[in-house]
Amino acid sequence: MSALGAVFYREAKIRSTNLTFIFWDLFYPLCYMLVFGVGVNAALGAPAAAGGVDYNAFFLGGVLAMASFGIAANTSWSFFLDRDNGIFYEMLTYPLSRPEYLLGKVLFNMMIAVLQAAITLGLGRVMFHIHVRWEMLPLLFLGMAVGTAGWFFFYAIFALRIRRNDVFNSVTSVFYFVFLFASSMFYPLDPLPVWFRRAALVNPITWQIDWLRYSSIGIGQPHRVALEAAAFVLFALACFAYAVRCLQRQE
Amino acid sequence: MSEFALEVQNLVKIYSARSKPPIRAVDGMSFSVPRGIIFGLLGPNGAGKSTLLRILTTLSRPTEGAARILGFDVVRKPLEVRRRIASVIQETAAELFLSARDNLLTYARFQGLDRATGVRRAEALMREFQLTDDADRKVQDLSGGFRRRVQVAKVFLVETPVVFLDEFSTGMDPILKRQVMNLLRAEARKGRTIVLTTQILSEAEELCDDILIMDKGKQVARGDLNTLKLLSQGVFEVAMTFDRLPHGMEAELASLSPLRSSIDANSIEVAFKAEEGRALEVVTDLARNRRVLHVEVRGASLEDIFLELTTVGGQPR
Repeated sequence: MSALGAVFYREAKIRSTNLTFIFWDLFYPLCYMLVFGVGVNAALGAPAAAGGVDYNAFFLGGVLAMASFGIAANTSWSFFLDRDNGIFYEMLTYPLSRPEYLLGKVLFNMMIAVLQAAITLGLGRVMFHIHVRWEMLPLLFLGMAVGTAGWFFFYAIFALRIRRNDVFNSVTSVFYFVFLFASSMFYPLDPLPVWFRRAALVNPITWQIDWLRYSSIGIGQPHRVALEAAAFVLFALACFAYAVRCLQRQE
Repeated sequence: MSEFALEVQNLVKIYSARSKPPIRAVDGMSFSVPRGIIFGLLGPNGAGKSTLLRILTTLSRPTEGAARILGFDVVRKPLEVRRRIASVIQETAAELFLSARDNLLTYARFQGLDRATGVRRAEALMREFQLTDDADRKVQDLSGGFRRRVQVAKVFLVETPVVFLDEFSTGMDPILKRQVMNLLRAEARKGRTIVLTTQILSEAEELCDDILIMDKGKQVARGDLNTLKLLSQGVFEVAMTFDRLPHGMEAELASLSPLRSSIDANSIEVAFKAEEGRALEVVTDLARNRRVLHVEVRGASLEDIFLELTTVGGQPR
C-alpha cells in the first residue's frame, strides 16, 4: 500500500474510534443551518440575501465553507496530540515523504467534507426546499475538497510552528473570528461599508464561499467565481509548500 | 551498496536559540558501523546520543558533515533511509486511540506489508510480547510498560536492515527485557544492524558487539568490551559483605579516591584505580578485625570505564 494510503488508513482508524465525532462532522453544517439559518430566516426574513433566495439558501455555501474550515482546524490540532504522545516524531521516521504525510493526513478529511456536503445538500433540499444546482455538484465537491485541504495546510503551518497548544487555541479563536465574520459567510457584501467589503474580498474564505455558493445555488458571476477559485487554489498551494517546509524543520 | 550500515563523517549539530549561546550537541563525530552487529551508543545525559540518533533517523539535519545509512545520505536521500530503518525513540510513542493490534497493523501498512503478512506477524508478536489479552484495548488504557511493549514490538514486525533503539528497555520488566535482548541478538544474527542507546551499562555490556562512548558531543572511546576494558586497566571493583557495617566505612572508602562507591545495609561496593598488588592490600585493610561474610574482586566493568572516561572525581567532566 502506498504511503498516502497508509496515512489515510491511520486517520480513518483513529477517527472511527469516535463515532460521535464522525456523526458531528457529517451533520454539523445541517445543525448549524437548523439553528442559525432558520433563526435568522424567521427573524429577519431574507432582506438582503443576494439573488432573491431565502436566508437558508444563501447561508448554504457559507455553512459548507465553515464546515471545511472547522474540519481543517480540528485536523491540524491533532499535531499537538501526536506530539504529546510521541508518535509524531516516530512517524517522521516512517518511509514516507513530508508532502505525503501532509496530504495523507488531509485526504480522509477531504472525503468527510465531501460526504458532509452531500448530506447537507440532500437534507437542505428536503428540509428547507433549497433549489440545488445538481449539475454543478462535481464543482461543489471540488470546492469542499480543495477548501478543506487549503485550510488544513494553512492551519498546519501554525500547528507546526507553535509548540504550546493553548497558544494554538488562541490563534485559532482569532482566526475563526476574523476569517468567518470578515467574509461573505453570513451576509451579502454589497450593503456593507467599503472597508469591510475590501477586507472580505481579500479573505480566502470569501473566495471559497463564493465558489461553493455558485456551485450549490447558482448565485454569483461565473468569471468572478472562476477568478476566486483560482486564487483559492493558489492560496492552498502556497500554504502546502510552506507547511511542508515547516514539517521539514521539525526537530 | 556500502559495506557499512552506518557512516558518519565530521558530523556537527549546533542548536542556536535567541539570547542563549549555541550548543554543539554533536561536535565533529566520525565513525562507521559494519552490518549485522549490535552497536551501542553510550554517554551521560546531554552527551548528544539522542541528537545523533535523530540525525541518523532523518528527524534532524546536521549543521555540518555527513551521515549515511547503507550508503544513503540522510539529508539528500531521507526517504531511501527511512525505507531501510525502524526506530524506537525515547518517548513511549504509540497511537493512544488505537488498540494494541491496530497499532501494529497501522505500522505494518506504513512499512508496506500486505494485510495478510501484517496480521500474521502482528498476532505472533502479540503472543511473544504477552499482548494477546490486551490486543483490543486502546493503548491509552494500558500501563506505561505495556505501551512500551507495543512500541518495541513494531521493530520486529518488519525486516528493515537497520534498527534504532533509544533507551529501549525503559519501563520493561526484567523478564521482558531479557526476552527483547534475545530477540535483538537473533535479529543481529539474521544480518540486521541494531543501533541502541542506553544508560543501563550492564545492558550494553551484555548486548553490544561494539560500543562508542560519547561525551559533550564527542567520541571519547570506541571498541568492543575487551578493547574498552584495556582503557581501564588497573581499575578494580571490590564488593564486600560484613556481619554488620563497620563504623567509619564511608571515610575509609573516601580515602581510596574511588571512581564510585556505594554502601547498602552491611554491604559495600567500591571501584578504584590501583596496581594489582595494591588492590589486594585494600581488601585486606577493609577486612582487618572485621567479620567478612562475602568478598569479591573484579576487573573494570563497563560502568567503571564509562565513569573514568566521562567524570573527574565523580563529577561530570
